Amino acid sequence: MRRGGRVLPRGLIPVVFFGALLLYSAWPWLPFGRPPATPTIVFYGFSILGDAMNKGVFPEFRKQWAAQGHGDVAFRSAFAGSGTITNQIVLGAPAELALLSLESDADRLADAGVIPAGSWKRLPEGGVVNRTPFVIFVRPGNPLRIADFADLTRDGVRIVHPDPLTSGGANWAIVAEYGAGFREAGGDAAAGEALLAGVWRNVASQAASARAARTQFENGFGDALITYEQEAVYDKSRGRLKADVVLPRRTILSEHTLVVIDRNVPKRDRALVDGFVRFLWSEPAQRIFVQYGFRSVRDDLNAGHPELGAIEDPFRIADFGGWRRAKKEIVEDVWKRRVMKITAKP
Amino acid sequence: MSTRAYAVTRAGRRAAVPASLVVLFLLPLILMPLAAVFLFAFRGGPLAFWNGLKTPEAQFALRFSLLVAFATAAVNTVLGTFTAYVLSRYRFRGQRILGIVVNLPVAIPTVVVGTSLLLLWGPIGLLGRALGPLGLQPMFAPAGVLLAHLFVTFPYMLGAVKPVMDEMEETYEEAAYTIGATTWQTFRYVILPTLKGGLFAGALLTFAHSLGEFGATVMVSGNLRLKTQTAPLYIFAQFEAGNIEAANAVAAVLALLSFFIFFVLLRYTGREGD
Repeated sequence: MRRGGRVLPRGLIPVVFFGALLLYSAWPWLPFGRPPATPTIVFYGFSILGDAMNKGVFPEFRKQWAAQGHGDVAFRSAFAGSGTITNQIVLGAPAELALLSLESDADRLADAGVIPAGSWKRLPEGGVVNRTPFVIFVRPGNPLRIADFADLTRDGVRIVHPDPLTSGGANWAIVAEYGAGFREAGGDAAAGEALLAGVWRNVASQAASARAARTQFENGFGDALITYEQEAVYDKSRGRLKADVVLPRRTILSEHTLVVIDRNVPKRDRALVDGFVRFLWSEPAQRIFVQYGFRSVRDDLNAGHPELGAIEDPFRIADFGGWRRAKKEIVEDVWKRRVMKITAKP
Repeated sequence: MSTRAYAVTRAGRRAAVPASLVVLFLLPLILMPLAAVFLFAFRGGPLAFWNGLKTPEAQFALRFSLLVAFATAAVNTVLGTFTAYVLSRYRFRGQRILGIVVNLPVAIPTVVVGTSLLLLWGPIGLLGRALGPLGLQPMFAPAGVLLAHLFVTFPYMLGAVKPVMDEMEETYEEAAYTIGATTWQTFRYVILPTLKGGLFAGALLTFAHSLGEFGATVMVSGNLRLKTQTAPLYIFAQFEAGNIEAANAVAAVLALLSFFIFFVLLRYTGREGD
């Protein structure tokens, strides 16, 4: 392997290799074989939306838009924890539309001056595109016999929970845990806090997004995971669910809010973006969401889908005065100030 | 820089035991994790591997990473060589401090690099606030990724070129000057040819580091599929989303590329591994 005595001149291999690499990497941007520029929608979504949008909604809209004679349309999308994408948009990420896990993130965008306050409320359904309840994933066969949130407070149960700092799902989960205790006791705040504290004593791992928490759980960490039902329904439909799902008797229905970031929408794409926004609440799009495990905002589309489990006492964020109040009273005051302090003690 | 100077062989001793000891602890530390990437990547057969690679997102991520790596290597080759030349050939006040500053990126956590770029160029940043109204927005765009990579990889070119320059006999340069060569001509025909090996090694190192950069990129890229998502970000996003096959296919390609770059580095710059 020493230099000299080679057929190829020394130095040719790296030149050929890096030349080929450069050609490969620049290929789509070279003048030949380049498709004409298509109008583009930049869409940011919270973590679990990835497949529903990429495989379902975007292709269907492309088809419809072309069928209506508007020509082709391309999508650029990013999916991460709802808090993460909110922070990125505040810092200037070029999102034209963002489907956030919870309205608090829309409030944060409004507070930062990115969008007018409450602008999403003028959209259909107050901006809510779809819903899904919060459920508990357990190991196959439910070896710890977990039947409800209360069972998660037992000693030795290790819970994988997304991180409320970056994950919208984690915020929903906190209100689900608090609300279940609160409503069980007939509206007792102390009971809500007790259940929340009991659950959090057992949180063994916090992931950045609901999707990341799910991956941790699937890789074998923890005994239970609190997450969106959509994940279970969608994976079961593909035969990929490697966990049992426990439907709590009382739990929250998360509602996912769309915001339009007008300052990032160029004038020439206005009609396209508006068309896509309208499409999200149309029957075909809502059916796609149900097909991917979400619950439609239209109850008639949810009927006849037994995979969407029946919950005895489902509640919504409006029952706790909306996200602005719940964020302050439940997430900030109860969870952050009190529960985290108690559970942080050894 | 020659490692051969350190190659003290102990011919009389039996190497089998210490050598196998090294291999033994390298197995769980380095060799087995690398093998796992390839095993997982090819577990579903070559077809699944290919399917994981051929998606537009994976293709874009690889191409984008490579282009950024080429650009980073090109820019830092020029800037790094010039910096090395200035630091090695001139004496001036603050030289020591400048020498420390240019090597600082090695020590700074890459996440901090990302944050600092955002706080300078971002829409709420010191310069970004002024650029925004002009329609310039480098963060969350390819330019931001390039800026991050230039920052993070800056010292590699310098580290490869400056020692060669420091060791170089200045008499050749003096000879060039005495026969009337300009500074540029001296640099072009006397210094540059001597530097060839160092330049090549520095460019390769810069390229390889840029290809794998994660910490700063994740902060400034916005992670947009098909727009600003580099290969490492793609791997991370796919892994987090549970698509381990898709993540592994690209990870295996990145690993292979690094192997090859490293091989070229060892083979063509005369720095043999043993």
